[in-house]
Amino acid sequence: MRALWPGLRAIIIKDIVVELRARQVLPTMVVLGMLIVFILRMAAEPGSTTIGGAVMGVAALWIAFLFSGLLAQERSFAAEQQNGCMDGLLLAPLDAGTIYLAKLLANVIMLTIFEVIVVPIAVISFNLHIAGGWLRLVAVLLLGNLGISSIGTLFSAAVQLTRTRGSLLSIVVLVILMPMMIPATFALLVLFGAMPEEAQNLASVRGSGTLTFVGSFKAAIGYMLAFDAVFVVASWLLFGVVVEE
Amino acid sequence: MHGIGAKDDLTGMALSVHGVSKTFVTRPVLRDIDLAVPMGQAVCLCGINGAGKSTLLRIVAGLLRPDSGAVVINGLDIRRQAEAAKQQLGVISHASMVYPELTVFENLTFAARLYGVADRAARIEELLAGTALTAFRHDRAGILSRGLLQRLAIARALLHKPVVLLADEPFTGLDADVSERLVAIFDQFIRGGGTILMTTHDTRMGLRCGHRVVILDKGVLILDMMKDQIDSERFAGDYLSYARSMS
Repeated sequence: MRALWPGLRAIIIKDIVVELRARQVLPTMVVLGMLIVFILRMAAEPGSTTIGGAVMGVAALWIAFLFSGLLAQERSFAAEQQNGCMDGLLLAPLDAGTIYLAKLLANVIMLTIFEVIVVPIAVISFNLHIAGGWLRLVAVLLLGNLGISSIGTLFSAAVQLTRTRGSLLSIVVLVILMPMMIPATFALLVLFGAMPEEAQNLASVRGSGTLTFVGSFKAAIGYMLAFDAVFVVASWLLFGVVVEE
Repeated sequence: MHGIGAKDDLTGMALSVHGVSKTFVTRPVLRDIDLAVPMGQAVCLCGINGAGKSTLLRIVAGLLRPDSGAVVINGLDIRRQAEAAKQQLGVISHASMVYPELTVFENLTFAARLYGVADRAARIEELLAGTALTAFRHDRAGILSRGLLQRLAIARALLHKPVVLLADEPFTGLDADVSERLVAIFDQFIRGGGTILMTTHDTRMGLRCGHRVVILDKGVLILDMMKDQIDSERFAGDYLSYARSMS
């Protein structure tokens, strides 16, 4: 196997240059993300600084990341379909896993840029107080980003072979991402000091079962980390099978 | 039929296809195809639409998994030693495999990085000159004409100095000048010891570059002859009549 890095770097740089020139994905992501944030802000109680407002803010953030992420991931492989560029990648002397990792990293970069734009807007709009500190927020966002991108990258490659494309991608990815989105939501709720009373009651009776992440930032991060590790490795191994006709 | 058996000597074969079959859902597209192409030979693979030419080429390129059989490129199995075998292959397909947002030079640089081409800049300059694309090096691929795009696709395919060149309908949509230039590039590739497996409807052009003609019909190789055994003009006419009768 040729060294992984040169091929990986070439694909990531190419994806970023193509996006900078085409400007197809990022502007659409930002518009969609801001729409989600503003609509949910309007739906929240006006001038709300209560827990309810913060809960809505957390929901707005994850909904924005999910749908904007899906948009970016779908485009990343749709762009490879034009002019048979996907064949060009598969014909190169690269392991299919290298193509997956490169696409994953390019998608993570796109979603990170999006987060840098949308998170401050959501923080201001919902008057969120980051009780747990910025570093913890960055850790949650990065883990969430990696989870969304790992699944989205794999399935966006798979659905390019189907007619339903985007709709199928949303259905499949949203279902698979559920186990990560729940602890991810609780992690942000803890960070913003916005655990709803019902969840706090649930947290007080939690044992060593499936809801250990409720109210515990550490446990929620652990779940996200485990999810990311499992799905990045599984997707990396499966990518070759998925893209083969 | 120029087939290869399990015990046949494959020494000196740039490309060998052994017992390849492929069925799409319930429709058999290729049936037990055997083909061996020695180094320095150009093979023109003919057949009407749906005969299985492109499927065979995609299997040889490693893009499609055959139901049975094996493909060996310069001694390397395309499935088991995929990365090493793909380094030996150059592919020209219907699609240009270039990014419209990147310039001609950037597209070639990207491909050179994927293939780990040594002395990248010099090799790209050499190919730009060889395909007469030097003047277009800073133009984005998205604004190039079909002929220029095809030249870029050829440059991309030859960038890593492949041993075997697979070309799927390389003359389609090209005007006479560009077709002539393509024939010249193929000639040069063959003179350099390269091997070509090309599909074409244009049997006259195919015979000009090819040493050997193979006809695929309903997934079976029905003819395999050297060019010097064929009266080229008569063959082109007969093939046209055959294709019309089948369509």
